[in-house]
Amino acid sequence: MTHGPRRTQRRLSLRLVAVCFIALLSVSALAGCSRGPVRTGNVFVIAIESEADVLDPQVAGGWVTWRINRQIFEPLVDEDLTIPSAEATVPPLRPGLAQSWDVSKDGLEYTFHIRHGVRFHDGTPLNAEAVEYNIRRMWDKNSPQYSVKAAGQTNFVWKFLDSLQTIDDYTLKVRLKQPFSEFLRMLTQGGNGSTAIISPTALKTYGEDIADHPVGTGPFKFKERIRGERIDLVRNDDYWGTVPSIDGVVFRPLPDPSARTAALRSGDVDMIAVPNPDSIDNLVNEGYQLSEGIPPHIWYLSFNMKDKYTSKRAVREAINLAIDRDGMAQDLLRGSVNPALGVQALSAGGYVERKDAYQRNLDKARQLLASAGLANGFETTLITSTDGSGQIMPAQMAEFIQQNLAEIGINLKIQTQEWISYLGVWARGMQDGVGMAQMSWGMTSPYWLYIATSSELQAPNGPNVGYYANPALDKAMDNAITALDPKEADKFWRQANNIVTDDSALVPIVNDKAPYVLAPYVSGFVSASEEWYDLTHVRLNQ
Amino acid sequence: MTRVIGSRLFSTILVLFGVSLIVFLLLQMVPGDPAVTILGSGATAETVAALRTELGLDRSLPVQFFDYLGGLLHGDLGRSLTINTPVTDIMLPRFANTLILTAAALVLCILVAVPLGVIAAHKQYSIFDRASMMISLAGASVPVYWFGLLLIGIFAIGLGWLPTSGMYNPRFPGGVGDLSAHLILPAIAAALVPLAVIARMTRSVMIDILQQDYIRTLRASGLATTSVLWRHALRNALPPIVNIIGLQVGYLLGGVVFVEVVFGWPGLGQQLYTSITQRDIPVVQAGVLFIALAFVIINLFADVAVGLLDPRTRRKVGS
Repeated sequence: MTHGPRRTQRRLSLRLVAVCFIALLSVSALAGCSRGPVRTGNVFVIAIESEADVLDPQVAGGWVTWRINRQIFEPLVDEDLTIPSAEATVPPLRPGLAQSWDVSKDGLEYTFHIRHGVRFHDGTPLNAEAVEYNIRRMWDKNSPQYSVKAAGQTNFVWKFLDSLQTIDDYTLKVRLKQPFSEFLRMLTQGGNGSTAIISPTALKTYGEDIADHPVGTGPFKFKERIRGERIDLVRNDDYWGTVPSIDGVVFRPLPDPSARTAALRSGDVDMIAVPNPDSIDNLVNEGYQLSEGIPPHIWYLSFNMKDKYTSKRAVREAINLAIDRDGMAQDLLRGSVNPALGVQALSAGGYVERKDAYQRNLDKARQLLASAGLANGFETTLITSTDGSGQIMPAQMAEFIQQNLAEIGINLKIQTQEWISYLGVWARGMQDGVGMAQMSWGMTSPYWLYIATSSELQAPNGPNVGYYANPALDKAMDNAITALDPKEADKFWRQANNIVTDDSALVPIVNDKAPYVLAPYVSGFVSASEEWYDLTHVRLNQ
Repeated sequence: MTRVIGSRLFSTILVLFGVSLIVFLLLQMVPGDPAVTILGSGATAETVAALRTELGLDRSLPVQFFDYLGGLLHGDLGRSLTINTPVTDIMLPRFANTLILTAAALVLCILVAVPLGVIAAHKQYSIFDRASMMISLAGASVPVYWFGLLLIGIFAIGLGWLPTSGMYNPRFPGGVGDLSAHLILPAIAAALVPLAVIARMTRSVMIDILQQDYIRTLRASGLATTSVLWRHALRNALPPIVNIIGLQVGYLLGGVVFVEVVFGWPGLGQQLYTSITQRDIPVVQAGVLFIALAFVIINLFADVAVGLLDPRTRRKVGS
């Protein structure tokens, strides 16, 4: 073969490749074309960010799973999630399976009046006995239905429980060892296990396999679960409350953010959780709806009180003042979060905004470091994860903090681990050389502050991973917990929030807005001040 | 032949034992405690200890491992630590889903790659040859993840011909038709790299064979080109091609993990990823065992097939 034809052929093959490329591009251009209306069949499909845990509400951990479980199961006391965050920073309590309750004057005895005429999805009637059976599963080591996992998840709710007594079919008496002002609010929570009530018949039939046969009282009934593919719920037409308009809900785990966006655009799903911050603007421009709230989420750092640098209050204050929370919220995270200006989230009771401590002030930060004899800075380590539930973009956020701290001379080293490894390391408590540990967490109950900072719960015995101990704080929180008057309790919680800020024991960074993106034809979805949602009012308008 | 298969099966057992031991030890070495995973950030030392006892994680490592092996010999893969369900119940449907995807991708590979390679070899240095080899080189270098998103962008979102993800329509789950529609894009994405490898391999083997004397003799005796190409040359080229296909199945089984993530395909890879991040040791072990088993068995089939295709080896193993 001579060179001539070869060159011609090469040119030809190049032309062929070019033609293929143009064909590909023109097909891509069609991507902009509009398509026919989506056929929803009145079933609401949600793309969720990860595979859910077990459908046993008392055992399951994590927000992702409670968002599903709370459609099937209900606790005694609930939160009203039909009010958007803008109208209620803390969701008001409302009766759940207990129609009403009385609290004794000494705050020790709660009498729950169980709702009449409610049946579980398997037909079992709801009564006081059924509720007692459930509580014993989470608390009574001597009962046959006791579950170590359920007890481990709900230990902070039942911590002060003394005794249980079924008075009659619809009356249950719960006696506490000491007053617990946040007891009712804690009954509504579900991020770390919930107290939602399961059919006792189903529990007796399936035992610990209940998660594969979940039977509750909620607005939706369990239909089918195919792991990794879907969890199907159907409307409960016999629901005691507002019967939903939609025929059912499908939760589809799609761990990849691009896959979620694609599924929404193609009409395969009607709503996506945790959209990629970069894609939100485009979706909104295309006509999709953005729903955001102020859930009790806080992305924060704890200081190691045993470390030679971070044990100094001036150093901790300097670090708090050096961090550019606004910059992180706007530039790095594109407005998908709010800068955190309090120890707890805005949606937690007892919230205190403290701009003086959490708004950037580099001059003051430098002065504080100099006053601690560290004008030339120092080196310390921050531990965080690479991923995980509620963690947003931990590595990039840690790097942002690293740049902020470099401006006052602190050389921050970052150590990251994959989420589950990190959770184990974090729970052990900070080791030598580690100055700060990051976590994202929070509850609408200010009791969360007790869980995170009480000296009784220092790691490894609890989640106070920085070994923070302040007797004045413990006293304030104890007063808040045992207060009989809610206003009194609130006063003490505010005091506790202020003490933690004055001690600069934590570094609150940002509060997530928990964005969801919905198809244009969806209405009735509300972002309330919680990490989870109520789907009874959702409508598909087609 | 029986002896070959017998010794292969014996070594399979050794391989599986080694694989489960290594996976077990690896998972012990990485930090992270399943009990802490289950109880989350609110866990106290006391509740973690109670749960560790219940899950049997407080026993010594050899006891845990041999207990697991004992169960395995009885066909019991254990229970998942996190979801308290028998591992077989979780993994068998997942494995079946992965096999569906892998098989579809493999069929696609063979149907496209082998003819492509043969024609390219026949028309060596032609436009067809250059274009197809260039495209296959590009295909082998394209990240599967990106290619998957491109397919979704064009065929699912843009043209609306096919669904973006999953195995069945979430609203109106259907039968085989629904499944096939969901299978096309992920199968194409998964097939891309092995397809390119097999096509290039077929081409080079065929070029080699087409230069052999007996091919020239066949041509000289006036046999039609199609017959020379497909009946004689390809037949002699098959043993190495079948071998490479067998090896590509291993690549496919590993590579579909990414495809499963992009297309939300509920397969083994996705489950493995979830279970690894939760330190759910029994599930991870079962997943790795399934993959190892599939790999060994498919390569055994490939070896047997090569033996049957090549009269020389047939005689050798037969004697």
